[in-house]
Amino acid sequence: MSDERAQRLIAEAKTLRYSRRTVLKRAAALGLSAPAIAGVLGATGHAAAAQSGTPAVNLGGSLNILQGTYFVPAAQDFFTKQAKDWGKQNGVDVTTDYINWPDLQPRTTSAVQAGSGPDIVEMWPGIPYLFADKLVDMTDLAEKWGQANGGYYDWVTKTASVNGQWKTMPHGTSSIAVIYRTDLFKAAGYDTFPETWEDFFKAGKALKAAGHPLGQALGQSLGDPPSFCYPYMWSYGAMEVEADGKTVAFNKPTFVDGMNTFIQAWKDAYDGTGLGWDDTGNNSAYLAGQISATLNGSSIYLSANDPTSKDSNPELAKNTNCVPLPKGPTGQFCNLGSRSMGLLSYSKNQDAAKAFLGWFFSIDNYKAWIEAYKGYIIPTGPTLATEPVYTSDPKLKAFIEVAKYGRNQGYAGPSNLKSAQAAANYVIVNTFANAVQNGDAKSAIEQGARQLERYYGR
Amino acid sequence: MNAVPAQPEELSQNQAQGYTVARSFWQKEAVLAYLFMVPGALILLIFMAYPFFYGLYISMTDRFVGIPGSHFIWFENYRYLLDDPVFRKVVRNTFVYSFVTVPFKLVLGLGLALVLNQQFRFSRFFRAGLLLPWIVPTAISTLAFLMLYNGTLSPISWAFRHLGLMNGNINFLGDPVNAIISICVANIWRGVPFFGISILAGLQAVPDDLHEAAALDGAGAWRRFWAVTWPVIRNIVLISTLFSIIWTFADFQLIYVLTKGGPANSTHVFGTYSYQTLGVTDLGTAASISLYMFPFLAVFAIILLFYVRRED
Repeated sequence: MSDERAQRLIAEAKTLRYSRRTVLKRAAALGLSAPAIAGVLGATGHAAAAQSGTPAVNLGGSLNILQGTYFVPAAQDFFTKQAKDWGKQNGVDVTTDYINWPDLQPRTTSAVQAGSGPDIVEMWPGIPYLFADKLVDMTDLAEKWGQANGGYYDWVTKTASVNGQWKTMPHGTSSIAVIYRTDLFKAAGYDTFPETWEDFFKAGKALKAAGHPLGQALGQSLGDPPSFCYPYMWSYGAMEVEADGKTVAFNKPTFVDGMNTFIQAWKDAYDGTGLGWDDTGNNSAYLAGQISATLNGSSIYLSANDPTSKDSNPELAKNTNCVPLPKGPTGQFCNLGSRSMGLLSYSKNQDAAKAFLGWFFSIDNYKAWIEAYKGYIIPTGPTLATEPVYTSDPKLKAFIEVAKYGRNQGYAGPSNLKSAQAAANYVIVNTFANAVQNGDAKSAIEQGARQLERYYGR
Repeated sequence: MNAVPAQPEELSQNQAQGYTVARSFWQKEAVLAYLFMVPGALILLIFMAYPFFYGLYISMTDRFVGIPGSHFIWFENYRYLLDDPVFRKVVRNTFVYSFVTVPFKLVLGLGLALVLNQQFRFSRFFRAGLLLPWIVPTAISTLAFLMLYNGTLSPISWAFRHLGLMNGNINFLGDPVNAIISICVANIWRGVPFFGISILAGLQAVPDDLHEAAALDGAGAWRRFWAVTWPVIRNIVLISTLFSIIWTFADFQLIYVLTKGGPANSTHVFGTYSYQTLGVTDLGTAASISLYMFPFLAVFAIILLFYVRRED
């Protein structure tokens, strides 16, 4: 893809007799890599910059990129290096900052309110809706990126675009699957992983009796708790709202039944301390050998399987497998929404920021990034889903497979301000937490429905 | 025609009169007092009064960050919060958090101060060490508590299990009651040094000969404390208590690091709930939550000022 753009630029430059400076400007706008730019300069009769540390393009200024902390540390180091290298090649002073996931949203809010702060910010699913008027339009680049990826998954469009416009560049998301101990499940009489939630809970009861309960975070955190609660709700016939985006469809008899099943399972099969876990609680419990299964991104397996990781545990990795979430009476789901990179309109260096995003969202570059991530982030469309990073290790296939039945928060409506309010106030997660604390599924769901009506009806 | 220039003698007389008037103006106590107050008043206006009134204004709007246009809705956000079950928990938690922890901090701080007021080997070392929980940044010391309270890897649970006192793990932060208790314990640990050091300073002012005279008159330790020590440290204790209530009431860091208001919103206080609400850019409601603290803090501050002035 980078080559195609380079070839187009060469033809364009020859036809229109571009100066060296114009070639460099166009190359930056197209997001070409430094070697590609050098190739274009050579092909159009302009000498490339000497290899003396001089920037190939001098866009100037500084650029600050703010993201959530990477759960795969090597990928964070890789991105930092990528960004710095790009900065050196383009004469931009690039800095990268990483903060805890729950702090990203308030930090963005403060920056937007103050009108100053990071130039590029990573945004959680649905958040582009909140800041649509404060973001630089990315529709051109996003459409190209979509075409290059065989289109976007529905859950990407519903969580990263705003009323048909792309205000940010979607970069995929951390996927979720059940990570379980094959040795412990076999010992409990399960050679294959249970297909339904009820069978999963039955297995969990036997495993808890054997000293290895299931683990599920139900604390106030944005990652793992919603990743369980939303799909479980959907698989028992409930959702936040109908397709009109207004009518709350949460208090359903089938969901009350499902919640009663879960309340019993919490007592019989789960580690009760999960109510206080954040996104790291289940990781540490699984890696310490205390729980037999949990819902998580691939980071647990990747850490155990990585000889250089402080959590390296080859034996545990060997006895670990990953599978999609179980089915409920109304189907099998996964809570997915794309994270994205947004360029804030207050940025004083928008040209450099656009050039960076254009460069980052090129297939070659993105591939290198997802490889550094070892498949933890799944792509925005089906084309890259067949990359070896997702398919070479059979244990990781589940994380790309769930992309087929992903649903966004706010389903059956889009992820918007209302669904973001409900998510940020943990309405769905706290319905589950209340239910297992009080043992009363009906009143917990009724309370959750009332809260949803407050947000969706406001 | 040019005016006749004034004579030097007349000029100096006029100047002298002017200086006298100016001097007497500037030497007026009231003028000087207001003059000296101007920088402080300006700082207060710019950094306290303006943000306060701006916050008050925002709390009466339906403003969302990033969404253009907002409406003035008077007290709608405040009324909305009164119907919010989570907000009712917030009010309850804040009072529980403030009024349960402060008596513990006071009693433990007083005890610690009485012990450290004695002369013994390394007493100065221990006095300095007393300040540690107070001077370590809250976020850092709270991370240590987060480790201690870990649901599955807590060293406290580990020790109890290995002592044969229990089988499972203590659910420190996953149970609403346990979570509040755990938060209170961390707050008490952090707040005791403030009382300890403040009261210790007061104890240093109690003359030894008064204690000796009371002892000669046959007063026991308990009687000496109430008759000799307490009258000297009473005002310090009172002021420290009020300060501690105000700080605890407005606490944020400790609860945010430990529970983020969970499980199921059961440990939120004003600060954390406001922050959570701000997370979805709902500036109007977030400001209203914060400003609900104001009447309570104002009452505490008035009581505090009353006692400070009475002592003066």
